[in-house]
This record gives sequence, C-alpha cells and structure tokens, in this order.
Amino acid sequence: MLRIYRAFLRLYPGEFRDEYGRELSLVLADRLRDESSALARVFVWLHALAGLVVEAPVEHLRVLGADVRHALRLVRRETATTTAAVLILALGIGAATLVFSLANGLLLRPLPYAASDRLIALDEYSPGDSKENGTVALPNYADIRARSRLLDEVGVYIPSGATIRGNQGAEVIRTATVTDGALRALGVQPVYGRLFTRDEALPTAPRVVIISQQLHQRRFGSDPAVVGKVLETLNQRYTIVGVLPAGFHFPDVAEAWFPLRMDPAKSPRTDYFLQGVARLKDGVTVEQADAEMRAMLNQIHAEHQPNNGWIGRAQPLRARLSAQYRDGVLTLLAAAGVLLAIACGNVANLLLVRASARRREVAVRTALGATRRRLVRQMITESLVLGAFGGAAGVLLARLGVPLLLSLVPIALPRWLDFSIDGRVLAFAVLVSIVTSVVFGTIPALGLSRTAVVETLKSAGRGLSTGRPQRRLRNLVVIAELALSMTLLAGASLAARSFFALRMQTLGYHSSDVLSFDLDRSERGYPTPAAQRALLDRLRTDVGGVPGVESVAFTTGAPLDDGWGRIFTIEGRPVPLEAMTFVNHVVVTPGYFSTLGMPMQQGRDFTAGDFDARVLIVSRAFAARHFPGASALGKRVRFGPPKADEPWHTIVGVVADARHGQLKGEDRDSVYLPFAAEMMPGVMLVRAASDPKPLIGAITDRIHGIDKDIAVASALTLDEIVDRRAWQDRLLAVLFVAFAALALTLAAAGFYAVLAYTVSLQTHEIGLRMALGASASGVRRMVMRHAMTLAASGLAIGVVAAAALAYLLRTQLYQVSPLDPVSYAIAPMIFLLTGALASYLPGRRATRVDPLVALRHE
Amino acid sequence: MRPLSRDTFHILVALADRERHGYSIMQDVHERTGGAVRLSPSTLYSAIKRLLDEGLIEELAERPDPDNHDERRRYYRLTKAGRRAAAEEAKHLEKLLADARSSGLVPKRS
Repeated sequence: MLRIYRAFLRLYPGEFRDEYGRELSLVLADRLRDESSALARVFVWLHALAGLVVEAPVEHLRVLGADVRHALRLVRRETATTTAAVLILALGIGAATLVFSLANGLLLRPLPYAASDRLIALDEYSPGDSKENGTVALPNYADIRARSRLLDEVGVYIPSGATIRGNQGAEVIRTATVTDGALRALGVQPVYGRLFTRDEALPTAPRVVIISQQLHQRRFGSDPAVVGKVLETLNQRYTIVGVLPAGFHFPDVAEAWFPLRMDPAKSPRTDYFLQGVARLKDGVTVEQADAEMRAMLNQIHAEHQPNNGWIGRAQPLRARLSAQYRDGVLTLLAAAGVLLAIACGNVANLLLVRASARRREVAVRTALGATRRRLVRQMITESLVLGAFGGAAGVLLARLGVPLLLSLVPIALPRWLDFSIDGRVLAFAVLVSIVTSVVFGTIPALGLSRTAVVETLKSAGRGLSTGRPQRRLRNLVVIAELALSMTLLAGASLAARSFFALRMQTLGYHSSDVLSFDLDRSERGYPTPAAQRALLDRLRTDVGGVPGVESVAFTTGAPLDDGWGRIFTIEGRPVPLEAMTFVNHVVVTPGYFSTLGMPMQQGRDFTAGDFDARVLIVSRAFAARHFPGASALGKRVRFGPPKADEPWHTIVGVVADARHGQLKGEDRDSVYLPFAAEMMPGVMLVRAASDPKPLIGAITDRIHGIDKDIAVASALTLDEIVDRRAWQDRLLAVLFVAFAALALTLAAAGFYAVLAYTVSLQTHEIGLRMALGASASGVRRMVMRHAMTLAASGLAIGVVAAAALAYLLRTQLYQVSPLDPVSYAIAPMIFLLTGALASYLPGRRATRVDPLVALRHE
Repeated sequence: MRPLSRDTFHILVALADRERHGYSIMQDVHERTGGAVRLSPSTLYSAIKRLLDEGLIEELAERPDPDNHDERRRYYRLTKAGRRAAAEEAKHLEKLLADARSSGLVPKRS
C-alpha cells in the first residue's frame, strides 16, 4: 500500500516531493499502524490518496505562480531582451499562423454545405494525366446516375455567366448551369419555391431559374412573392421557381442557377465539359465510390465505341475544389515552419547570452539549495511567458496579414474559402507558441544547468566568463539558423525566379497595350449571321475611330481566358480516338494577328472573304510537329472524333506561337479558324497606341452608341488577364520572399550577435595575445576564421535542406529547375557577405582592445 | 490579515501547547475535534509548507519521537507571528459566536 502511495507522490512538483515526500509516507505509515482492522486501513489509505490527488495540482499551481511572477519581474527588468524576443517570436508565430489560416480555409474548414464530408466530385480523366481536374460527358453522367448504387444524388454543373436586364439596367452576373441532382446533392433547401425537377433538364422544358438570396434582394427587393416572376436575360425570359438561402454559393460565386437543357441521348460521349458532384449514401466510403465509378465507366466504355479509355474517379469535393491551391499552401507551411525555427533559434541565443549573464545568480541559487530541475522548470516558465506574449502578438499580426494578402489576389475567390481566424487557427497558434517556447527555453536551460557552481563562484572576478558547452551551444544554434535561412533563401529565390519566368515569358503577343472586352449581346437583336457580321463591322469602324485606338479584332476567347480544346484528324493520317490529341481552337476575325502583334510566318492572314470559308491558320509549333521539314500549307484538317462528318479545313497560313490555353506548363498547339455563321466571336480586342486603360470609357461609350443593350462583362488589358492567371504564383513568391527576408534578417542578426558576444568574451585572451606580440590583422583573421567556419557549416547543411524544400516546390515551379544553380548561389553569397560584415566590426573592435585593460580583467 | 482556513487554524491550535511532528499534529487535531476533522497527509503538509512560507510556524532540527518509534521526525512550533495570527483568529471566531448568540441563532450559555 505504501509503495503505491509513494508512486503517487510523483504527482507533486519535484521540490515539494524532495522536501516532504518522506514525511508524507511516514505519517501515512503511522496512521496505518494505528488502525487495527484491515478495512479501516483501506479507508485511511484511500483518504490519504484522495488528499494527495487534490493537493498535488495546487502545489503545482503555486510553483507556476511563483515562476510566472519571477518571469514577469524579469520581463520588466530586462526590457530590451524581452522586447526583442517577443518581436522575433511574433514574426515567427505570426507567419506560421497566417499560413495556417490559409491552409485551414483551404484544406480543413468544412465546406459550407450540409454534411459536406459526404460530398464527392466525379470526373473522368485520360489515363496519362491523373492530376488533371477532369470533366464528365453528359451521356456518361446519365448512365452513372441510373446505375450507381452507392450515391444518393448525382448531378453535373458548369460555371457560366449571364447578362440580366430589368429596370435597374443590365448587369453581368456569374451563374451556373446545373442538373437537378447537383443542388439536391449539396443539400440546400430553398427559402422560397423549390429546386429543379428532373424534367426541367430537358431541352423542351419551360425556361426556369433559381436565384440566390443576394440577387433576390438586389433585383427584386426581397419580394416574398418572387416565385413565378420573370428573370430576363439578354436573350430569354426565365420563370423564377426558387430562391436559395443567403450564404449559399456553388460553384465559386454563382448567383443564379439555370437547368442544363440538354438531351444526354443527343450529346457525344467525347464531349467533356461538365463537372460532377454527388452525395455518398450513408456508410459508403469515398474509396468504395471511387471503385464503383471506375467500374461503371469501364462498363460504359465497353458498351459504346469508340472507346477513349478514360477512367472514372470519385474524390472528396473539398479535395477537388482545393486541388489547385494545395501544393502551394503546403510549401508555404513548410517555409513558415522554417522561419519559425529560425526565430526560435534567435530567441534561444538571446536567452543563452542572458543566461551567461545570469550565471552568478544561478550559481548562488544553486548553492542555496535550488535543484537543477527547479531551475530548468523556472526557465521554461519564463520562456512560456515570452511565448505567450509572442503568440498573442503573432495572432494579431496574422489577423492583419490575412486581408493584406487577400488584397494581392486579383480575382474573386470562391466563396467557400474562408481565411478568418477561427478556433482551430487559435488552437494552432497556442500549440505553436507552447512548442516554440519549450524548444527555445530548453536550449539555454540545458547549457545553464550544467554550470559547475563552484567554478562559477570561484571565477567571480571574471563575471562574463563562460563555459565551453555554452559556447558550443551558441555556435550550434547559429549554424542551424544559417542552414535554415539558406533553405528559405533558396526556396524564395526559386519561387521568385519562377514567378518572373512566368510573368516575363514570351507570350507571343503584345500584352500591355491590348484591351480585351467581353461583350454580351442579345440574339434577338441580331437574328441572322448577316446582322451579326454587320454589328462586328460597325464595332470595328466606331471603336477604331476612338483616338488612340490602332486596331480592332474579334475572337471567341481572349488569350488565356478560354482554352477551347478540340481533337482533330489530319487528312490521310487517321488515328484512333484514344490516340487523338487536343489543340486550342480559336475563332478569329481578320486583323486578329496584327492586333495582337503575332507575325505570320508562312502563307497569308485571313481576309474578309474568308467568312464561313473552310480555311485554317496553324501555329508554328503545330506545323513543326505535324509537318516537320515540309510546308503545312495546303494540308487539310478536320475536327472532332474520327467518324464525325465535320468538314475539312485547308491550311492557308502559319503564324508565330503564342500562349493561348494556359500560362503555365506545356501549352497545346493552336489553330485559328475564320469567324463563321455558327461561331460568332464575343470578345473584342483593341490595340492602343499607348496605355490602353484610359480608353475603356470612350470605347464603352462607342459600343453603347451602337446598341445600349450590349453588355460589357469585362474590360481588361491582356496584362491584367495574365495577372489573374498568375496570382497564385505571385502570392507564393511574395510570401516566400517576405519570409526569406525576415529569415535573413534574423539569421544575420543572430550571427552578428554571437560573433560580437564571442569577441567580448575573448577580450582577455585577445589582450594577452596582443601583449605577446600578435598583430591586429592576426586577431582579425582569428575572428574571421570563426565566422567563416560557422557560415560554411551552416551553408553546407542548408544546401541539402534547400534541395529537400525545392523538391516540395517542384510542382509550383515554372521553367526553373528545383536544383537551379543560380538560386543556390544567391543564398551563399548573401550569407558570406553577411558573415564578412558580421565579423568585420567585432573583429575590428577586438583589435582595439588595449592589452592593459584586457589584462586588468584578471 | 487573511482569515485562516479551518485546517490551518486547527494546526496552529495543535502547536499552541507544544512543538509537534506531523503525525502528532494530525492526531491532536483528530482528538481535539472529537474525530470530526481528519487531515490527510497531503492536506497536512501543504498547510505546513504554506505556514512555513508565511512564517507562522518554524521547523526545528530533526529528532526521534521519544514515545513512539525510532524514525527521525521533523518538529514544528509556532512563531510569534503564528501565535498572534492564531489568537487573532480565535478572537474573530469568538466575536462571530457572540454575534450569533445575541441574534438568538445559538442558545446563550447558561
């Protein structure tokens, strides 16, 4: 019984146990001896145990209270150290919290839909490209819905836009085209009216629409009787059948939902443009649904030829939505972790130096009976107090930083992204603060407690002298800091170089002086191809007449804004469906190439006479790939799957390459078709003589002068479109460079401080050397050697760590190798420079030491 | 001065007549209260530590308990401040009791 009781004594703080442990057991032993019956002894024992369990935490709190009071006294007494430490910690913890709140919003926060963990995304992907966010063909979706036994609701959707009309004027809004199952899968309940029925997805059904609460408020004054009223777009009138609650957005930022009015039976199985969403039945896992999707698609492909062999897939909806941000955020988390570690090292060094200064205090206390455990505990409490201040300031920084970061994002982010600081982020910050405090608190505590009491007291005359283990610790911390900041610097340099490579790449067209107008016009106003051509001609003449405008052309999609990929066959070279590749399919009017500044390399440009003609201009890359060493002119190309009866197009020209589909990665080859009756371009490109932005107003006026019902959905320079495409890379580069700059500053400051401190400790030795005839340059060399040893060790480790970080970064990089030599060279150069600078000043100070003064220290 | 807790007061009272070791204090409190108050070892030593910190009692050199076993014990005794604090507390309690009597809550002593 007593043995168990003694084991429980461990619950007490060490000090208390040392002091009273024996007494406690003795008293209990006495009590037990005085009781005669076994039962009574059991009661006595239980009573003692209960008392212990109640009192032990109280004793802990008393020790903690004393330590915290002691720490707060120190905080007040050592203002400089405290301020520096808290600031450094605030930066480190702030950066980590900031990035974590991004990760939280992207990867952890539940999506704002009912039981969102049961929502999955469905798609098909080509066997060679599982990373691609795939889409679903409409007939396949219909089959999946009919066959699936594991999915409750299945739907497809595609983001779209619409120009709505009304007495408040025209307004371009973001919309989505959906099937009934999509909204039901999301589990949303209408505030008014109902969701779509299955029949409303048929092409023959009456035109209906469901609107968001915001649109309801903005355009209908929150009229409760809105159901049955009409929402008018440029071309159609839709009866409102439902209103969805405030805060519901899907996908991204849509404000109105239209049924997909298409017949699956009449849609080709190779037409991939829909995204699938579904809800899992109870008890079904994503893996099971994925296996079912795969099996269903295999079955479907087996039943229908030709078979392109695409693979069915189900994945959590969140994973699908956040896929494009995931790698970037994880890389940033790693970077923030490195920065935090550097901050940790800096504070540890600060405390190490302070600990040396307090060696006497500690030695005296030890001599007076304080145990090592007690001192370590107290030092860690001090660190925790610093950490608490640093953490609070860090959370504040993160709170200010999130809106600042979001201001760098040029596009409307999907509404499900919420980066605010919630309980999880706070918990993270608290955890990080505690772990950080324990780490930077333990390092000096270890060094401190090894202090030989007697030695310290003996060397009372040289108050600053310091033990060998401490010096080693300080050096190790500096080496670690240098290695870590080398890692960050290399990472930042990679991210920045990649961003600049991306942003500065040759796009193949003038991006700074070309405006892109996204126009939406009513079909009723221009019912015939002739009327539409007339409108384009009017626009070209009128807009071309605006002073400052050099040329005007039209296309189906501005560069980078709309990658319309199509499969094709070259005459005489049939390929099976699964071997077909995609090209960017761009419809343009004459003058397109000159407006964008894309030089013709062979053949001719389109002319007005090419309207509806079966001619084609291909990119240089297309010509080189398919007709190497021969002319592409005169060859014929047909679009669509092998058996399609689309007409042949004859190649009449070859034009220089330009980025069309995507900014990053391998772009597809491009082909250009002349505008035709069935494909009227909706994007107007305007090239200006100089800065085009001021012309937007005048050009819009001209457009409305022709037809005030033409809606201008957007007016952007091509540069702005590129920015919108590159924002993630810019954000990554900005954050990375900011982290690296902080890391460099912290590491350089730590490096300098340690060198300076070491020199100040060596005052005596240096004085002695100089008294014995050492030259000033010799002393400087000694200091320099120390600095360079530290720097070289740090850099050597850093290069290895940087390569590891770069491996994480590799998917984010554009035209920069993860082992890019420049990035690895920049960091060491900056560091050797810092090292030289950091050792120069202390070195110079060292040589100015008057040997007499130095020796008098003795 | 902060009012003393019940346990603390009992310990001071136990030490009023002579110096005692821990177990002796425990027994004295137990007997004096007619078995109503039984301190656990933990409660006892937490209180002792606090009283030592506050300077109300002091520790004497270790010595064996004469009428019991041969283990060495730590003995404690009241300091001047401790005696004063206990007296204050007693006076305070007396006043409380007097108040209770005059209000008729407790029968007056005959």
